[in-house]
Amino acid sequence: MSNRAILLGNEAIARGIVEAGCLVTTAYPGTPSSEILPAVAKFADELGTKTAVEWGANEKVAFEMAASASFTGIRTCAVMKQVGLNVAADPFMSAAHFDLKGGMLLVVADDPGPHSSQTEQDTRFFAMFAKVPCFDPSTAAEAKEMVFDGFDLSEKHNIITILRPSVRVDHCRQDVELKEVISIDNKMNFEKDPSRWVCLPARVRVNHPRLNAKIEAIREDFENNYSKYNYKVPAKGKAKLGIIASGVSFSIVMDILKSWGREDISVLKIGTPHPLPLKMVDEFIKRHENVVIIEETYPVVEMQILDRTKIKGRWNGYVPKAGELLPEVTEEIILKCLGEEIELGADPDLKAALEELAITPRKPMLCPGCPHRASFFSIRQALPKAVNPSDIGCYTLGVNQKGVDAVMDMGGSVTMASGFYLAHKVAGEDRPIVTTIGDSTFFHMGLPGLASAVYNKHAFVLAILDNSITAMTGGQSHPGIGTKLRKGEEGRVVEIEGACRGCGIKYIKIIKAYDIDEGKQTIKEAWEYAKENEEPAVVIFKHPCMLLRRPQEKIQVYVDPEKCIGCKFCINFFNCPGLVFDEEKKKARIDERFCVQCGVCENVCPHGAILKVEGEEA
Amino acid sequence: MQYVIVGIGGQGILFSSKVLGKVALSRNENVMGSEVHGMAQRGGSVISHFKVGDYRSPLVNSGDADVLLAFDQNEAVRNLHFLKDGGSLVVNIFDEGSFKNEHLSKYLEKHNIKVHPIMGYEILKEHMGGNFLFLNVLILGALCGAEVSDITLEDVKEAIEQLAPAKFKDANLKVVDLGFRALKN
Repeated sequence: MSNRAILLGNEAIARGIVEAGCLVTTAYPGTPSSEILPAVAKFADELGTKTAVEWGANEKVAFEMAASASFTGIRTCAVMKQVGLNVAADPFMSAAHFDLKGGMLLVVADDPGPHSSQTEQDTRFFAMFAKVPCFDPSTAAEAKEMVFDGFDLSEKHNIITILRPSVRVDHCRQDVELKEVISIDNKMNFEKDPSRWVCLPARVRVNHPRLNAKIEAIREDFENNYSKYNYKVPAKGKAKLGIIASGVSFSIVMDILKSWGREDISVLKIGTPHPLPLKMVDEFIKRHENVVIIEETYPVVEMQILDRTKIKGRWNGYVPKAGELLPEVTEEIILKCLGEEIELGADPDLKAALEELAITPRKPMLCPGCPHRASFFSIRQALPKAVNPSDIGCYTLGVNQKGVDAVMDMGGSVTMASGFYLAHKVAGEDRPIVTTIGDSTFFHMGLPGLASAVYNKHAFVLAILDNSITAMTGGQSHPGIGTKLRKGEEGRVVEIEGACRGCGIKYIKIIKAYDIDEGKQTIKEAWEYAKENEEPAVVIFKHPCMLLRRPQEKIQVYVDPEKCIGCKFCINFFNCPGLVFDEEKKKARIDERFCVQCGVCENVCPHGAILKVEGEEA
Repeated sequence: MQYVIVGIGGQGILFSSKVLGKVALSRNENVMGSEVHGMAQRGGSVISHFKVGDYRSPLVNSGDADVLLAFDQNEAVRNLHFLKDGGSLVVNIFDEGSFKNEHLSKYLEKHNIKVHPIMGYEILKEHMGGNFLFLNVLILGALCGAEVSDITLEDVKEAIEQLAPAKFKDANLKVVDLGFRALKN
């Protein structure tokens, strides 16, 4: 039986993973990859497969679980976002050298733009670095198809295969065909063989040359056997331009040429950017006088070409070296390469309207009612002079409240607190340090830093903003929650408090995030303790994420224009979509379109201008 | 048909493109769309692209959209450039005055853009006790009422029945009708 459904690209990939007979799938959530694993669980439940589907505490954990399971001969898959592979880089680089037994697919979602990431790094480069093959899908349907080929290729050459969907594939919605689970010989049988599974230096001297041979054999495969992903769309007559396009850039190029109705441009589609099918590419280049390479985000295809001198690309400035190649950017690149007129700039009337109406893009903000907003307000007001590192998650948006001074990577809040402590200590300066991390991120990479800080006696306050969810990525579970993905499976809860105590934390307080007075007082007290005892103190701010839609008391508030002096304190330090500043009247007011009546802002105004609505209405 | 749907994170834009997808699928049409998830979704400007027909890329190019569906009037202005000449704008208005801006009117006239305004917040305050979570369904009703595409009220109702949680079913269907009637002349 086959039928069609409209799936998110990530759901299409998930469906492929289940249909391809994958038996262990692991992940850590991260935009734009997050929807894949829950969809794997959903389809595995629907199709009745035995697939183990699990969140790892971080990407390294997820990768290692999937890789070692594949040593037993079964198909496995690990899923993460592009910066997640940085976390899993250590096992990934090692495992690339192994002569794998079961097929292993590594799905890494890239984020050109970036939309929700701290870099716009290109995973195809990582594939080149580790010397493993990489598929670069141009649509959701193709991504699903590549899942099957990824497993097959992995098993044929005993090597990890990467599927690199970029954000426009992950989050595109397309009709795709649904099939049943294929029948494969997928038998678990771990055979002890230290020469194969132990990465001793002596083995690398054998494994590395073998890896080199594998990648050349795969290149031959890509030249000859993958015409469904690598093919030419010829021009009519002599082509004025040849475009080599990889991944979603190919789709964008094709739609542009279609809307222009142009047939004097030929295109070479590359779906396997590493190892690059060089003969095919060289032949295409030879046939054209004018060639441009369009790919996201780094010049991966471009840099594999031996002679780039006559090619237009990133090296000579025809293609931007940063940012997403949106249709309008791609159009400009093509016209520039053709030497044709480019119409630039916005319509003057539209520009004037935007200016007069003062319309600018809205920046991301914490949701109305978000407990983090209250926590950041308490932290900042308790110790205004403190250094405030933070971490990756919704709470990075605490930067809008001047409650975040530095963010680097997952878990960096704890270790940066250590770094700032040491820098101030050696300079002989005394300054409070209050750092913030979320519950999921704490389990991801917060723990090693905390153990290290206790061991080295670093004084700072670690505020754990526990909203009982991995919020930014859409509400996934983690060890602190304990729920699992497959129907009927239950996990166990790992308590944050117990984990902190296990690391040697002695001062630990759990408070209500919405209670600003208690928050301010506790932060001050925790800092005094940390300073006195030369050790980290932990404060856990608790309140469920608003996305969980748990019922809570509604407190309606209003701004009394008589009392509001227009100082913008609430805008600058509370920064809620439901509380806006009327530039004409020079007063704050509640924007009922967004206010969820959490009531927290009642305690925010230093002039007492934000008041509870009394009576039946409230 | 190419649609661009714009608004602010949290307004339920993803659900709207899901509904449009369901409608297209029930008619056996090919669908391509693009959505925003993650940090970009948190209260910031959000945009969904949606294409029905023979396309490869999920993104709508500037000047190619047939319909701009705007949950927020400011986001509508920011994204007007997506509309082709003669295209249609269905827009949720909260500040009529500023939407009458002289330059804006000139742009709309010059590009022959048909504007279908709906006072979404007023309607939801009057009929739904001010529950603005229904805005997405209201706008979908408005899209049908404005008759700017071949999507009918019945199409949308059927898709919503399949996609929305059962406990909101009746309320959702009521709001679709409100949106439809607001723009059906």
